[in-house]
Amino acid sequence: MFLEIKEIRKSFGQGDSRVEVLKGIDLSLDKGEVCVLLGPSGSGKSTLLNIIGGIDSADAGEIVIGGEPMSHMKEKQLTMYRRRHLGYIFQMYNLIPNLTVRENIEVGAYLSDRPLDVDELLRLLGLWEHRGKVPSQLSGGQQQRTAIGRAVVKNPDILLCDEPTGALDYKTSKEILKLIDQVNRTYGNTVIMVTHNDAIKYMADTVVRLRDGRIRDTVRNAQRVSAEELEW
Amino acid sequence: MKNNPLNKRFVRDLRGDLGKYLAIALLMTLTIGFISGFLVADGSMIKAYNESFTRYNIEDGNFRTQKKMNKAQWKSVEGLGLSLHENFYREFRIENGSTLRVFRNRDEVNFVCLMEGAFPAAPGEIAVDRMYADNNGLKTGDRIRPAEAVETQGGGQPEGTQQAANAQEGTQQAANAREGWLITGLVALPDYSAMFSDNNDTMFDALMFGVAVCCEEEFAGYAEEGLCFDYVWKYDDPPLTEEVEKDRGEDLMKDLMKEVRLESFVPRYANQAIRFTGEDMGSDRAMMQLLLYIMIGIIAFVFGITTSNTISKEAPVIGTLRAMGFTKGELVRHYMTMPLLVTLISALIGNLLGYTALKDLCAAMYYKSYSLPTYVTVWNGTAFVETTVVPILIMAVVTWVTLRYSLGLTPLQFLRRDLRRRKIKKAFPLSSGIPFFDRFRIRVIAQNLPNYVVLLIGIFFANVLLIFGLALPPALDHYQEAIKGNQLADHQYILQIPMEAMDEDHKLKSAFRMMEFMSGAETENETAEKFSAYTLRTPSDGPYRKEDVMVYGMKTDSRYVEGIPSSEKSEGPQVLISSAYSDKYDIFSGDSIVLQEKYGSEKYTLRVAGVYEYPASICVFMEQDALNRLFDLGKNYYSGYLSETPITDIDSKYIGTEIDLESLTKVTRQLTISMGSLMYLLDIFAVLIFMVLIYILSKIIIEKNAQSISMVKILGYSGSEIGRLYIRSTTIIYAICFLATIPGVTVLIRYLLKVMIRLKMTGWIELYVDTPVYVKMLLLGTVSYAVVAVFEYRKISKVPMDEALKNVE
Repeated sequence: MFLEIKEIRKSFGQGDSRVEVLKGIDLSLDKGEVCVLLGPSGSGKSTLLNIIGGIDSADAGEIVIGGEPMSHMKEKQLTMYRRRHLGYIFQMYNLIPNLTVRENIEVGAYLSDRPLDVDELLRLLGLWEHRGKVPSQLSGGQQQRTAIGRAVVKNPDILLCDEPTGALDYKTSKEILKLIDQVNRTYGNTVIMVTHNDAIKYMADTVVRLRDGRIRDTVRNAQRVSAEELEW
Repeated sequence: MKNNPLNKRFVRDLRGDLGKYLAIALLMTLTIGFISGFLVADGSMIKAYNESFTRYNIEDGNFRTQKKMNKAQWKSVEGLGLSLHENFYREFRIENGSTLRVFRNRDEVNFVCLMEGAFPAAPGEIAVDRMYADNNGLKTGDRIRPAEAVETQGGGQPEGTQQAANAQEGTQQAANAREGWLITGLVALPDYSAMFSDNNDTMFDALMFGVAVCCEEEFAGYAEEGLCFDYVWKYDDPPLTEEVEKDRGEDLMKDLMKEVRLESFVPRYANQAIRFTGEDMGSDRAMMQLLLYIMIGIIAFVFGITTSNTISKEAPVIGTLRAMGFTKGELVRHYMTMPLLVTLISALIGNLLGYTALKDLCAAMYYKSYSLPTYVTVWNGTAFVETTVVPILIMAVVTWVTLRYSLGLTPLQFLRRDLRRRKIKKAFPLSSGIPFFDRFRIRVIAQNLPNYVVLLIGIFFANVLLIFGLALPPALDHYQEAIKGNQLADHQYILQIPMEAMDEDHKLKSAFRMMEFMSGAETENETAEKFSAYTLRTPSDGPYRKEDVMVYGMKTDSRYVEGIPSSEKSEGPQVLISSAYSDKYDIFSGDSIVLQEKYGSEKYTLRVAGVYEYPASICVFMEQDALNRLFDLGKNYYSGYLSETPITDIDSKYIGTEIDLESLTKVTRQLTISMGSLMYLLDIFAVLIFMVLIYILSKIIIEKNAQSISMVKILGYSGSEIGRLYIRSTTIIYAICFLATIPGVTVLIRYLLKVMIRLKMTGWIELYVDTPVYVKMLLLGTVSYAVVAVFEYRKISKVPMDEALKNVE
């Protein structure tokens, strides 16, 4: 297995106000797999994603990526781990306002030893015509595509997507999902996507449904449906 | 090595926030430029000054005798291991009331530096001191005339210039007959770089006292009775250390006293006219360095605030970058670059200005106070380090510390904009009885409290500069008024015992002269009161600048100084000290003071019985009999008179000095001349700092509230209503900060001035800050604030309404 999540626990607050958000999560994913984490608000899916991404820490349990355990990593090692292995896509695009589309993507490329070709990616993302624009000149979908480009250009082992379509309309959301699907198929990265949109589960290899800090069920789709065909 | 694409932001950041960067860069360039100019001018002039000792062969000391030395005396003095040179001079009172001390041009010691024109070559020609000419509006080709009407006593005659009056008669023959002198050139005399007419003066006088040289023939025309017999010496083997020089000086004085009757004895190490300039330039340098570091500290502080604001504005981007794998160090370096770049550019432009235009401005300030020879600008490596490397280092440290702290949060906290280390648990309750707008403003203020603390500190610094600039000129006026209202008496005469009356080698003659003096120095003036005087000095082992302290011996029932304590029944001498003494050294009734012989090591401990309101000088009052006993002066000894009306029945030859208002206020005149332009500069700096700080901080507050401003705009609030909510909050805080800093600023500036005067100056000036100064400060502050508020109001009207709708999680 490429990614192993073992008995992950996480709680917030202290004393009476202590809330256990993750109550022992176990999950294993293969390289190149698309995994969708589903669940209502407060189920712990974003927290799990953040722990996998090394920007939050677990109280107990272990995450092993490519045979490398994360629990003993210090801050600097975690940063290098993120730098080498991870790409992040958030609901909000968080682009650098005074850099162009191309430059925002280059920010991601800068971090990688084996970056993808930026021009090729711009074409793939449909941003070639917009490469010289700054984020304020773009639509929400174009901004999210730029954010995807920034995450993907590193050619990361794992692409973490936190509600990537949460701020977008139906049509743009489908475009973004198509892109993520295309990136996964083209570059073979493992994709973990948090969403509360049940329809997205069909584009995944593995669907993990969380409720109240536990995995309610894990479903492995026999066949992935292309994002184009998704309806909600 | 890969090129970091984040670097492309720098130029765009600069363009995007041009106002902020320009304001900071302008402030920094001016500060660095002025201080660099000052240090370069100071360094070049100190170099010229130090070189002048050998270049112009400056004397090792001088002494004055009442009579011209004879050949035998000359020979014995030269036998003391030195070469002796005449440096005779004659003083003339000039039409404008100033005093001109004229020397024969020198060719052995104290060579004269010709700065413009030519040396006088014929009788009737003169080369005057360049600074005296500047300050009195004279130039080459002008004529300068002695006063027509000759006053033999008082009436505007500066202290120590009795010879001017005595010499006047001779002058009429010499100069008046020729309708004064033609100024052929402007010069600098290396032994008069600071215009001390008397080495005991509190302060030099660059306006009312000047020096000049004439040719041999002109000088030969002056009657001998009007001359001052000043001699300068050079040691055959110059002492290598100051301590040896002091020992030799003291030994020499003792030896000289055996040969000649000394009127004054001033070794070079104690000669204020030679040494003061070098010491003052050195301490000015320290002050300017301090000013530079304070200013850079303030600017670094401003950068720290703006950087921390940028961090909070860009929090989600930073969170994303950190999540992507950018290290904290990479981001610290990224956000440090702009402040350092702006500092570097400002420092380079500042230095460029410093070496060109501003250097001349600063040199002109020195040339206004000191008569320095011409200087050559020298590259000053230390100044470059101090004005470029050190500011960059200060800026680097401050921004590094701020950034390490600001960027110390986790990526998740940045992504969630959760930047407060201490969270506000709940909003504090506000009564619904408070009008809505007021409640809103209170919330705005509470939310921006950290920025307002910064504003408070900034206003404090700016006010320190402003009060210093604004308060000193009126403080000098007040000092002058205080002296006028608190003179010991309208007329104060110090008698001069004829040298023959003290000639121990001819006792009979001296007794006769003394009797003649005793009767000739008596007055019928009913307001006149005799007093004794003895000059001591503050101990040489004290931490402050040494200064002379005049000890007055008064009658216990004196009509001029009330409350003289009787020392009869006390263990030691009981004294009153002047209020200037008390204020300067924080000595009060019940304390003891230790003073030392002026030319000796004996010390006296005097018990302070009270403080007498006399702001004009550092002096001590005690019972006359006790003083005469203490210093072994004889029971009937007295030194002079205090009087309400002029004393006209004493032979003028027995009057050594009349201390009048003009001589007492010399220090204020000099400070006004030498510090006037500096005050003006400080005011400009203070106003600039004010404007920059308020501009940047209110800009930050508006940027932080952009989302709320945008939201209330959507709700339908008008521009003026939003202005009332946000700008008025800052206005209220600004007013509170301004008023709150005034007492602290006043205390601090008084303290700083006290320390400066104790270390640098003799005498005392109280920094009196009157209401108009505060009103002026308030006006300047208000105008600065109003200008900034207009800018900020425009900024509020430009906040787009979609700000509220974007990038909100």
